[in-house]
Amino acid sequence: MALELKNTSLKELAKLYDYISMCTHCGNCKYGYEWGKTGNFAAMLCVQGDKYNFDSYRGSRGKAAIAKGLLSNKLQWSDAVSHVLFTCTGCGACQQMCETDIKPYILRMFEALRSEAWKQNVAIPEGIKKWSSTIGVNRNPYLEKHENRLDWLPSSIRSSLPKKAEYIYFAGCTASYRQKSVALATVKLLQKLKVDFTVSEDEWCCASPLLRTGQYDLAKEFVEHNKELPEKYGASGFITTCAGCYRTLSRDYKMDPPEGYIDKFGKMENVKVVHTIQLIEEMLNKGEIEFTGSFNSTVTYHDPCHLGRHAEVYEAPRNVLKAIPGVNLVEMYRNRKFSFCCGAGGGVRGGFADYSLETSAKRVREAESTGASVLTSTCPFCWRNLTDAIEMTKSPLKMVDIVEILEPIVKRK
Amino acid sequence: MARGNKEILAKLEQIVGPEYVSNEEANLIPYSWDLTWAEPRMPDYVVMPKTVTEIQRILRLANHQKIPVIPYVNATNIGGLCVPEEGGIIMDLKRMDQIIKIDPETCYAVIEPGVSHAQLSAALKATNPQWEGVEFSKGFEFGWGVHPASASVLAMAINHGIGHLNGRLGINSQLLSSMEVVLPTAEVVKIGSCAYSDSWHSFLPLPRMDGLFTGWMGTTGIVTKLGLWIFPIRPYRDVLTIAAASAKDITKYMVHWRHYSLCDEVTAVSWWLAQIPITFPYKDKPKDAPEFFSYTVISGWTEEELEYKRKMWKKVVQEEKARGTQLIDFEYPEEAKRGRTELPSRIVGSTKNYSKSCGGGLAWPGTFAPCKSWPILYEKWKEIYIRHGLSPATRFTDYQGAHYGMLRCMTPFDKRNPESVKAARDAMVECVRAGIPLGMLPYKPPVEYMNELNAAADAGYVYLMTKIKDMLDPNNIMNPGKLGVR
Ligand SMILES: Cc1cc2nc3c(=O)[nH]c(=O)nc-3n(C[C@H](O)[C@H](O)[C@H](O)COP(=O)(O)OP(=O)(O)OC[C@H]3O[C@@H](n4cnc5c(N)ncnc54)[C@H](O)[C@@H]3O)c2cc1C
Ligand code: SF4
Ligand code: SF4
Repeated sequence: MALELKNTSLKELAKLYDYISMCTHCGNCKYGYEWGKTGNFAAMLCVQGDKYNFDSYRGSRGKAAIAKGLLSNKLQWSDAVSHVLFTCTGCGACQQMCETDIKPYILRMFEALRSEAWKQNVAIPEGIKKWSSTIGVNRNPYLEKHENRLDWLPSSIRSSLPKKAEYIYFAGCTASYRQKSVALATVKLLQKLKVDFTVSEDEWCCASPLLRTGQYDLAKEFVEHNKELPEKYGASGFITTCAGCYRTLSRDYKMDPPEGYIDKFGKMENVKVVHTIQLIEEMLNKGEIEFTGSFNSTVTYHDPCHLGRHAEVYEAPRNVLKAIPGVNLVEMYRNRKFSFCCGAGGGVRGGFADYSLETSAKRVREAESTGASVLTSTCPFCWRNLTDAIEMTKSPLKMVDIVEILEPIVKRK
Repeated sequence: MARGNKEILAKLEQIVGPEYVSNEEANLIPYSWDLTWAEPRMPDYVVMPKTVTEIQRILRLANHQKIPVIPYVNATNIGGLCVPEEGGIIMDLKRMDQIIKIDPETCYAVIEPGVSHAQLSAALKATNPQWEGVEFSKGFEFGWGVHPASASVLAMAINHGIGHLNGRLGINSQLLSSMEVVLPTAEVVKIGSCAYSDSWHSFLPLPRMDGLFTGWMGTTGIVTKLGLWIFPIRPYRDVLTIAAASAKDITKYMVHWRHYSLCDEVTAVSWWLAQIPITFPYKDKPKDAPEFFSYTVISGWTEEELEYKRKMWKKVVQEEKARGTQLIDFEYPEEAKRGRTELPSRIVGSTKNYSKSCGGGLAWPGTFAPCKSWPILYEKWKEIYIRHGLSPATRFTDYQGAHYGMLRCMTPFDKRNPESVKAARDAMVECVRAGIPLGMLPYKPPVEYMNELNAAADAGYVYLMTKIKDMLDPNNIMNPGKLGVR
């Protein structure tokens, strides 16, 4: 049986044909597994497969089969194809399991498939269509006005920020319009720690939602706009508190494909991108932070997919948590590279609210099973979805971002 | 695009609920092919039952409507066995994923079809062998192969799967103890001790009716529960390695070493299989490189036991060298040794070692053969493979004693290229044809191999196989086309 490239009109996908063809259909990506000295890790990691069951939804094998089917003309576009494509959160757990040559291209393949779907006469989730139709004006996917973007920032702080600084704090859309407490805690924390930073008056969405949902054409102007910000502010880097912004700025803006999109948008040169948690870890290591209080709680940490599997930042948040007086850090069974997505990513929260919430409820239950009283993370988007699940399930857990834990109890040494 | 028929779809929805059945091509396409050269064939429905009753109802419907039913878990069988030759219903059994029981005293486990190697190995490692609460050691194991960890233990075991304890205990279908089956005509039957009590420990001393469902590739019924023997993990383990100038030399050594029944496994791989990944297309072996490499895994309860086995192994190697067998001292790298003991493996199971950068195809003539025929067939297969531009990535593994062992050639090929697919298929079918007169029998045979087998078989054997199939499955609904007789 041969799977030849017959449909070259699917340009984005056809470019990946040689990589997609390397998928052997082995199915390793459908379930999380690793051998360990005393025990084996074994758990379902694919949120999409966990919900929709069929092989089309489980891991990258199903999507690779769809891609091969479309490219070889063995499958035609349909609403069902679109449903499979858009219910994947892009969490990357399948990519973690795969070891063949398709591995680095898996997430890019998902996005290329979605980019092709937009050009077909198939049902794109209404929620995604809605924000996509206004993001060009609003510069955010929350249907909020662009001019209100900095409303989270009290004028007292706003006026105290320098015009030029080493870093730009890139708050991102979620912290700017929804989890404002995270953005506020971040600037207060950075000020306390005497970090040389400012906040841009003209930040646009980092383009993560656009890239993750395959809207390359729309994404272009966002990437081009944000790339210019450091020069305007004389900054050499971005600080983010959002895992999604971190992934996008540090990889999509800066790396060759398949990790990044510099093939489409050019490269953001000479700009450092750090997540707040990395900055804090570095300062702790240098002895620049003093704790003025404690956080006496049993805490469990949820790895955001965009910081964890996408960018391999696993230890910095844990090292910071362990350094906080009073924190008793306990792990969920699924952690680090084998973490389970909160269910919000890849456009799923906007496109399939119920399924997204159902997924985060699964994660909340797992967090509860550790005996922790606090669930923490490093992403306002995960914060939102997990908090909604905590409320829905009436969980006793309290959700806080690590910056919110840190801000009241630190000072610069 | 939707397939099949709306009324059947509605009936299936009534049985399992609408979220567990689909006739959409988007959901059917991953079930239409597998790793091998098997020609893609679309099923018409996929259905995911959760209970035995649901399976019975699906089979009643399928019989009534004469629709094929293909039992399915992960389709990693490397034989095209789940490709629906005549369309029909893929019965995806992944939702039946309960480990029903692990009995740490009588040492057996009872599992459903959807239990993966990942799940069972994790659960067995966490269970300690014991008697009346007194624990003897840490953890149990079963015969783990080098498959993807997501693959079904049940589907592997009932189709004569092989694992890392084969040298000590035989192939995995020799380690089964009881089963529950839904017959094609929808009756539920229990076979073995579980037919009489809730103890799933043994098929013996009853007539071996489990043979009606082992090795049949899902053509005679749906096994819904399987009892299997589990074994305490021995705390001491070592991997001893050697190389040889030829297939003949390595066979002599293996036959001599396995004579003492001291190892868990003894395997040899040709130079081409030792390459990671296997070279594709064919490339000459460097002149000075050994033709075969071999590892053997020994285990024990104490270091002394292990040391004794090491001594015996060295004695075998010395004696063989003394009688002129061309053995070459060779130490496997640590990582390669770990790959032999840390099973199931995320890395090996991912096919990376076999099929990287070559275009996604993977198949094998996977066979059981008397060890005598290994070197003869290796030379024949090598000629066939090289003629087709393929690497003879061959493996010999002994199965518990002198009777037989594995002879197989892991074969990557390029699915982008129809010529490459054809060359791979032609080479493998030719290998099977060459092997059958020398006692070689393919396991989990693709249709092409089954046709070769049937052409060479004793007429009475084919008659009986057909009769059993007709008796159990009068409407030929179970995975039709796979036996080559119906
Ligand atoms: C890289 C690689 C290495 C491998 N190495 C090994 C190895 O070392 N040892 C080994 O044994 N195998 C090996 N295999 C083959 C295969 O992975 C295993 O046999 C595996 O366990 C099959 O599981 P599955 O879930 O993929 O079964 P499937 O392919 O889905 O099913 C296999 C067969 O069983 C039938 N079937 C499934 N469920 C039932 C049921 N409940 N009742 C009746 N029939 C049923 C199917 O119709 C089909 O005919 C390997 C495969 C790969 C890809
Ligand atoms: S990215 Fe996550 S949700 Fe999507 S297929 Fe892979 S494991 Fe499943
Ligand atoms: S994506 Fe990778 S792990 Fe999944 S089936 Fe393909 S090759 Fe195997």
